[in-house]
Amino acid sequence: MATRTHPLETREFTACALLMLVVVGVITLVGNRIGYDGGIVAAAPGMALIIVIGLASLLLARFAPIELPAFAYAMIIAFCLSLPYSPVQETVVGLTKPINFLATTTPILAYAGLSVALQVQRMREVSWKLILVACLVFLGTFFGSAIVAQIVLSAQGII
Amino acid sequence: MSSDDAGRWLPIRLAGRWRVHLRTHLIVFIIVVVTEAIGKRTIPLGPGQIVLLPMLFAVVIGIGISYSVLGQYVAPLRRFVSEDVSVLSAPLLTVALLPLGVKYGTLVGPSFADLISAGPAFVLQEFGNLGTIFIALPFALLLGLKREAIGSAVSIAREPTLGIITDKYGIESPEGRGVLGTYLVGTVLGTIFFGVLGGFAPATGLNPLALSMACGIGSASMMTACSASLATAVDSVPKEQLLSFAATSNLLTGITGLYMVLVIGLPLVNWLYDRLEPVIGGER
Repeated sequence: MATRTHPLETREFTACALLMLVVVGVITLVGNRIGYDGGIVAAAPGMALIIVIGLASLLLARFAPIELPAFAYAMIIAFCLSLPYSPVQETVVGLTKPINFLATTTPILAYAGLSVALQVQRMREVSWKLILVACLVFLGTFFGSAIVAQIVLSAQGII
Repeated sequence: MSSDDAGRWLPIRLAGRWRVHLRTHLIVFIIVVVTEAIGKRTIPLGPGQIVLLPMLFAVVIGIGISYSVLGQYVAPLRRFVSEDVSVLSAPLLTVALLPLGVKYGTLVGPSFADLISAGPAFVLQEFGNLGTIFIALPFALLLGLKREAIGSAVSIAREPTLGIITDKYGIESPEGRGVLGTYLVGTVLGTIFFGVLGGFAPATGLNPLALSMACGIGSASMMTACSASLATAVDSVPKEQLLSFAATSNLLTGITGLYMVLVIGLPLVNWLYDRLEPVIGGER
């Protein structure tokens, strides 16, 4: 492997990131076709829009003074575009509709699983006690939030 | 841009690396084709159900075929799904999350009015994340853990918490070992854990909307596994509403989580430790 320590120049970063977005987009479209019967041609324009927003989000995460992850920028941009007050709401919602929500999740977790391998060895060294505590932490944070939300939502009469 | 953030992106460069790229994306492509062909499975279990979505199969296969699991024993597999593949997959995870982020945005935008009316619940349930301290800390002490308990029980230990504890105690300290433990378990097993929990949780009788807010724990992939399984298991509330509530709660946790741990969580866990440790800490 070539050893290079200085970070990617912006031009190289932008070009590589764009290509990676296209690769992920193609994989997602195929998954969308197999798992959710979404036509590749019908979903392609929506994916093009997603790639544009995705690239903008990566660049914002790199350069914007507010430190937010690219995922948050992607969500916020798409959120603003699809607000009821937005003139392009119908276009944005309509274009992305043929892409099933679940189809976008499968490639994420495939890459996640592969990258997790980097941590597996370190996790094997974690004592079983800490693993048990971690599971309890997961349950505690989940049900802690759920119970508070349940109480407030019922007090407001929403549920 | 922080300096470690810059180095994080190095693996995606193409010059001289097209073979690694080809292998990595081909592996992901195959995983996606196989898992989407399997489709979604639900297994009834007691009062609830276990929801197994393609994404859950994908993460299990991804970990399983990697160089540090099956690849350890099967040399040809290790050459194909090499460590390079795992290194490239790390920044690709960030890229692959973006289409999902956009989908979430388009689900949340149109239902903006619902979110505003549920505003108080969104804000207050963030404090519910502190609930973990009251459950996990006594348990950790009963297991005989000492200061490790502080780091392991303070929160779900995503990157902000890891940063705070490392900053305050150092990563080599007992507190640091504790937080690293919860962080690593979350990274490796979190999506699987929350995928199963989200599908089963309606059996508790808690309202699906409340559960969807609870899915937003500050990790995009865990929240996704949790809320997608929840939305698959529940018919009484529209899927879009559950997904957008979870995504909004997750965004909120992402913004408030750091302060929640720093200002409330850490003092609280230390206060509770000082009270409980003499009583149930035992001699060791």
